[in-house]
Amino acid sequence: MTRTVTTGRAVRELAELDDIEFAVRLLAATPTHEGRDPRLLRQWAYAAEEFGAALDPARCTARIIERDGGMERGLIARYTSRPPAVELYTDTLAAAEELVDRLGWRDWYPVGSVRAAALAHEAVHQRLHHGPDKAALRRSLGHVVLRLGRHTAYGHVAGADEIAAHAHARAVCGLGRSPLLLTAALAATATPHGREK
Amino acid sequence: MGVVILLIMAAGVAAMLSRKLPTAFALVLLALAIALVSGAPPTGENSLLDTVLQEGAPALAATMIAILLGSWLGRLLDETGIAGTLVRKIVEFGGDRPVVVALGVLAVSTLVGTVTGSAPAAMLAGIIGIPAMIAVGIPKVTAAGTILMGIAAGMPFELPVWQFFSSALELPIPTVRGFMIKLFPFALAAAVLFVLIETRRKGVEHAWSLKSVPEKPLSRRQRLGDAPWYALLTPAVPLILALGLEVAIVPSLLAGVVYALVTTTRPGEMNKRLLRTLYSGFETAAAPIVLFIAIGILLAAVKLPGAVEALAPLVKAVSPQNPVLFVLVFTLLVPLCLYRGPLNVFGLGAGIAGVLIAAGIYPAVAVLGLATSYNQVFGVADPTSTQTVWSAQYAGVTPQQVMARTLPYVWLVALGGFTVTAATYL
Repeated sequence: MTRTVTTGRAVRELAELDDIEFAVRLLAATPTHEGRDPRLLRQWAYAAEEFGAALDPARCTARIIERDGGMERGLIARYTSRPPAVELYTDTLAAAEELVDRLGWRDWYPVGSVRAAALAHEAVHQRLHHGPDKAALRRSLGHVVLRLGRHTAYGHVAGADEIAAHAHARAVCGLGRSPLLLTAALAATATPHGREK
Repeated sequence: MGVVILLIMAAGVAAMLSRKLPTAFALVLLALAIALVSGAPPTGENSLLDTVLQEGAPALAATMIAILLGSWLGRLLDETGIAGTLVRKIVEFGGDRPVVVALGVLAVSTLVGTVTGSAPAAMLAGIIGIPAMIAVGIPKVTAAGTILMGIAAGMPFELPVWQFFSSALELPIPTVRGFMIKLFPFALAAAVLFVLIETRRKGVEHAWSLKSVPEKPLSRRQRLGDAPWYALLTPAVPLILALGLEVAIVPSLLAGVVYALVTTTRPGEMNKRLLRTLYSGFETAAAPIVLFIAIGILLAAVKLPGAVEALAPLVKAVSPQNPVLFVLVFTLLVPLCLYRGPLNVFGLGAGIAGVLIAAGIYPAVAVLGLATSYNQVFGVADPTSTQTVWSAQYAGVTPQQVMARTLPYVWLVALGGFTVTAATYL
């Protein structure tokens, strides 16, 4: 009982956070950003969000595979380039939909939107992997690592692609809040083995 | 009598395999049993107490000091942010191309592998390197394998390893260095091929994971800042001195320690940092030092006249003398160095190497070729070795998955090492 109350409070506190805070936390937890200035992380998070939200919608051309075992592995979806495929973990998607109902978040995440968001998210990874968009993302982040005369080299910001993918999913699926909020809530309410806390 | 000793050895391997006894304890018990059945007297010349225990325990003392200095330098690379800066720069410059990041982390691991070994080396390169590779899309098994293959590529130039083989096989350092230079191209080629082939074969993967957002903001440790560019040369300092200028191992490693310190630390903080990292280095070096004490004891036991006399005819009968057969047989026996098997150089394999030399079956330098080639396999693919277990678990996969992915590559390295040995020394 105590644990359920604690978890409920934790989820409510998560919902009170700004969407950009989740993006900042994601970057802060990504290796290579240990100890970076939080203001810089926030600036990158904003840039990545803007970039992802502004991307044209594109259909996911990779093969879609639905499977379970996601709760055990802590996964909602996964994109692999060889072979090009998007794995959707049906048990995690179902748990996410159930959680949305339980928390009264339907206005933010309409029925079926988690699956659609997962496909939109992985489609961004696919286009960032294959297309010219990755260079555009790097430029939009503006992380200069080398300047030689008029030539400027922009550095890779690990984790920015993930934020862009979530922002894109939110925009094209018409979600009221970032999928990162739902991710954090799901992680807070589920044990690694998929049992509810 | 020889058969009895072999049975004792088999029992020792079984005890190590079944984890009934830690390797170091098993090796000491093996040594005592071998000395007893070889008819060694309790005290005096070639005896149980004076020769096996008293002279055997410190026999590899020089190796222990080298291990300690390597661990000290490793702690400095960590604390001063040198290792982290190297990985961070690689990700920033090459993050769009996962294969470039993997090759960069491989290069860092190789450099680290020349300084220190085992789990501390894997941690130095892997703590940032593994999640950084996963963040740019490298699959987890490939990420763990890249760290291990990198460390193994650096292993031929790991100065404490030179010292170990020099002391254990009673060979001069230049001889050890000469063979290691021949082994290095195989190890490096296999490591680069691993990255190129595996990143191409497995592609990239990106996961929408439940762990991507921490529930609470992470507590931020004080930012170390990037180490200056000239400090990043630290891992190369001992290597240049020992390999290029033929300076002895201990001063070469000490020079690395001093260089890391003066390029990263304010004068007022030097004493404190030196002591802190040295004491921390002792902790890191404790396990290998215990193992080297045990190996010294085992080597002393198998070199007792009674043991050599008993084992020589048996080992001679099964040891191939024809160069082609030598390469074939020892290549087929590669799996025996896995799972703490009898050809594990940091276990019973050291004893077998001692027997091969003491009985005059192969020249010592040929045994060096065998031992170092097996070491390349053990250092990467053995699911019980600490660096493999740590790398796999940190990446979120099993050591067995890493073994299956890396074994073909390191098996080829061993084949290369055996071929060079047969062609050059038999």
